[in-house]
Amino acid sequence: MNSVVCIKRVPETAEATLKIAPDGKKLEEENLVFSLNDADNYALEQALLLQEEFDGDVTVISVGPPETDEIIRMALAKGATNAIRIHHDDISKLDASAVASLLAEQIKDLDYDVVFTGAFASDDAFSLVGTMLARKLEIPHITMAIEMKQDDEDEAEISRELEGGLIAKYRIKFPAVITVQTGMNEPRYASILGIKRASQKEVDVVDDPTIPENKVQLEKISYPPEGKKAEILSGTPEETSSRLAEILKQKGII
Amino acid sequence: MHKLLIKNELLGCIQCGRCSAGCPVSLRTALSPRKLIYKNLRESRKLPKSQDIWSCTTCRTCQQRCPKGVSVMDYIIGLRSYQVERGKIEPTMRDALESILKHGNPWGRPREKRTQWIDDETDVRILSEGEETDVLLYVGCTPAYDPEIQKSARALAKILNDADVDFAIIGNDESCCGNEVKRMGELGLFEMLVEENTALFKKYKFNTMITISPHCYNTFKNEYALDFEVLHYTQFLKKLLDEGKLQISASIDKKVVFHDPCFLGKQNDEYDAPRELLKYLLTDEDNLLEFGRNRERSLCCEGGGGRMWLEVESESPRNAEIRIDDAKSIGAEIVATSCPFCQLTLNDAVKTTKSEDKIRVVDICSLIAENKFEETEMEE
Amino acid sequence: MNKDIFVVIEHRQERIADVSYELLTKGYQIAEKLGGEVIAVLLADDGDQMAQSLKSYADKVLYIKNEIFKNLHSEYYCDALSSIIGERKPALILFGHTVDSFEVAPALAEQLGIPIISNCVDFDIDGDFVRATVPLYGGKINGEYSFNAENGGIISVIPGAFKVENPQKSGEIEKIEFTFEKEYDDKEFIEFIEAAAGEIDITQAEKIVAIGRGVKDEENIDMIKDFADSIGAVLACSRPIVDAGWLPKERQVGSSGKTVKPKLYIALGISGAFQHISGIKSDTIIAVNKDPNAPIFKVAHYGIVDDMFKVIPALKAKIEEMK
Repeated sequence: MNSVVCIKRVPETAEATLKIAPDGKKLEEENLVFSLNDADNYALEQALLLQEEFDGDVTVISVGPPETDEIIRMALAKGATNAIRIHHDDISKLDASAVASLLAEQIKDLDYDVVFTGAFASDDAFSLVGTMLARKLEIPHITMAIEMKQDDEDEAEISRELEGGLIAKYRIKFPAVITVQTGMNEPRYASILGIKRASQKEVDVVDDPTIPENKVQLEKISYPPEGKKAEILSGTPEETSSRLAEILKQKGII
Repeated sequence: MHKLLIKNELLGCIQCGRCSAGCPVSLRTALSPRKLIYKNLRESRKLPKSQDIWSCTTCRTCQQRCPKGVSVMDYIIGLRSYQVERGKIEPTMRDALESILKHGNPWGRPREKRTQWIDDETDVRILSEGEETDVLLYVGCTPAYDPEIQKSARALAKILNDADVDFAIIGNDESCCGNEVKRMGELGLFEMLVEENTALFKKYKFNTMITISPHCYNTFKNEYALDFEVLHYTQFLKKLLDEGKLQISASIDKKVVFHDPCFLGKQNDEYDAPRELLKYLLTDEDNLLEFGRNRERSLCCEGGGGRMWLEVESESPRNAEIRIDDAKSIGAEIVATSCPFCQLTLNDAVKTTKSEDKIRVVDICSLIAENKFEETEMEE
Repeated sequence: MNKDIFVVIEHRQERIADVSYELLTKGYQIAEKLGGEVIAVLLADDGDQMAQSLKSYADKVLYIKNEIFKNLHSEYYCDALSSIIGERKPALILFGHTVDSFEVAPALAEQLGIPIISNCVDFDIDGDFVRATVPLYGGKINGEYSFNAENGGIISVIPGAFKVENPQKSGEIEKIEFTFEKEYDDKEFIEFIEAAAGEIDITQAEKIVAIGRGVKDEENIDMIKDFADSIGAVLACSRPIVDAGWLPKERQVGSSGKTVKPKLYIALGISGAFQHISGIKSDTIIAVNKDPNAPIFKVAHYGIVDDMFKVIPALKAKIEEMK
């Protein structure tokens, strides 16, 4: 059985100092480290696990500039068999529906059983593309999959992970789109020798795709109002705990 | 016959068992180098798929003790490299390796924070391309990022400044040395680091490199082809002492025992420099104690071979805990070491054995700095 | 432009999600500008009681009834919503940005051919345009997005973004027995499974109370567990606790354990060894430790320098008071 995995190149921003570029619409990329979006990594692993069990191809597909080939090569090193890159200079200019259209345009002609995507990207966390893609391909979808059980090549049992640890189990027939939550499996490591070997493999580049019109515009990005860090609360246990309880309430955590 | 078996002289094995007898983890894990070789020779066409190889700390005792010259440790690393190629390794190790590729350190920290160990009181020059210095201090990932070990880096910088040493660091462009990478079996990444680091060092002019970690020292000295002198900091400070450039006055009147780091001792035969430094610090030389297992017989703390990123399940106490118990039983109050990993594993063991009020684990450079600049680096 | 605001009510096992009330509240601000009404759209099977509890929050409760709505099925949801939206043409359709809306909202946007901005923390209407704020890169940057709402549009908002106020309306309930023209047999709901005890995955926890050596004794863990339970948090720990055999390995946070990304991380008696803190990715880290120099205070957002055994009972009491 064949899978397609949609992957996205994203910056690692957890600890990085972020600077907004002069156009006010994207980040300065100079000091950023880019990698394969975390949830997409789990999506890829799921496809590779299916390949180990049922054989078949794993095609990775991504929209982006030539730098995207880095993550594509990593996916090839892990065992993906084919790769497609839909060229676009600046994906921050595309809305989710446009990205889904670009992907669907390529995927519709492939011979596939499942399309995997990450459940969300670490940059915008929109959680839109996977479901939109399913609609454009006119196939069913399941989002936020945390477990997949499959006895044959035509259907699978998928567990969706809901808030608070509750699991909702569905049965879905293929072809289908499954968006994968982190933690579904344990992604493998791509060794450097593997990545070097993968750089010999061919990446199909769609050079001049027809770019669909955006429905949603990104106006600008900005720094959020500053928060206080490492504020030490002082006083008696009564005082400190009451202050802390207030803070937690304000933040909507409690 | 697999090339890994031939390359590492496995056919010479006489099954004497010295490797397993000397192995520091054979008692607490399922790893037995002798059995591994035995099984592999019986089924010589296939490499064993055993997960036990991940318990190895690459301390090199097995290889050192083998009477037939079998490269036992290199063989284990070779076996690891096949598992790394298949990509199915422990997630903690995977994350450390990916972090090295992306950020130049195994700790998942951004490159831009690599020099954050330098505080207001620490005066350190950061080299720009083409600049010159006599001594290049290679800080290393753990001293650069781990708040506990950053103290060692600051202590060393102060000592060097005080001794008027012309030294500098590379700064945020410094990357992982690759010693652990190689031992985790990620040989491709190691090769890449060797190439990149060698090219990086060529951008600066210096005569000597000193390292804080014996692990960095080991790989730069033995596994790179570098055209400058590489010293562990204990060796360099000892040299400064001998040349009269560093003064240490005896001020510690506690009983101190030195824990030999495998990568300084067993693997590089440096047993004396740290002990000499300690002798200078002690008011009474007799207070320098020795573990029953010392020097080439020293018990590995289990911090090497990538084990900082790999937990091994075992019912038995950790070697570091055994080490702390041993230290207590010989009456030591301070366990001195000269390796960030030893310091971390031994420090954890002090906590797990509830020995905080009896034993202190400390790096030699911190001891010297406390001795020289007491008011600034005093510990509790 | 159309005037009404539709709020698609999220419910599970007969309970309405808090985010739905938040959206109804926010909906009034927007509807006021447009001179329209706020309409709660409830797709349910046995929803009479839920419809009743929505009455005071909305100008109208549109209760669309069919037994299929007992459990979420995106295709049926979309068909029912498109049909009703096609008829009544609201200005905006609001969803909570929740696991269930991931399944429905983007599909609905495609089905209707209208724009969607998801993952918002705020939004407003400005002439024909809707503008929304989206936290990007884990909240380190805000993004301002907009769409032309002439033909409607969808906004999905992160739970907790707005406060709930009851406008004391007494909206009428319009009940529609919905029938489907099309059947979908390529996807089917099987069952709910509650997370089994002992199989807790701390990497997915929203709130974590983590203990370190400062807990001192295994017997003290019960008290902390009580506290964690009371705030709906999962108990985790640093390595020494696992080493001591007090908690299983699956609870360990750190470089040799698990990396966690909760909204709230409370570190109790954890000194903050590097191997531990490298496993925490959280926007709100609270540390309670007796040692003012403990490195955990360098990564924590709020700190209390005190004995955890004094602070925790007091904190538990305060939080209970607030409930």
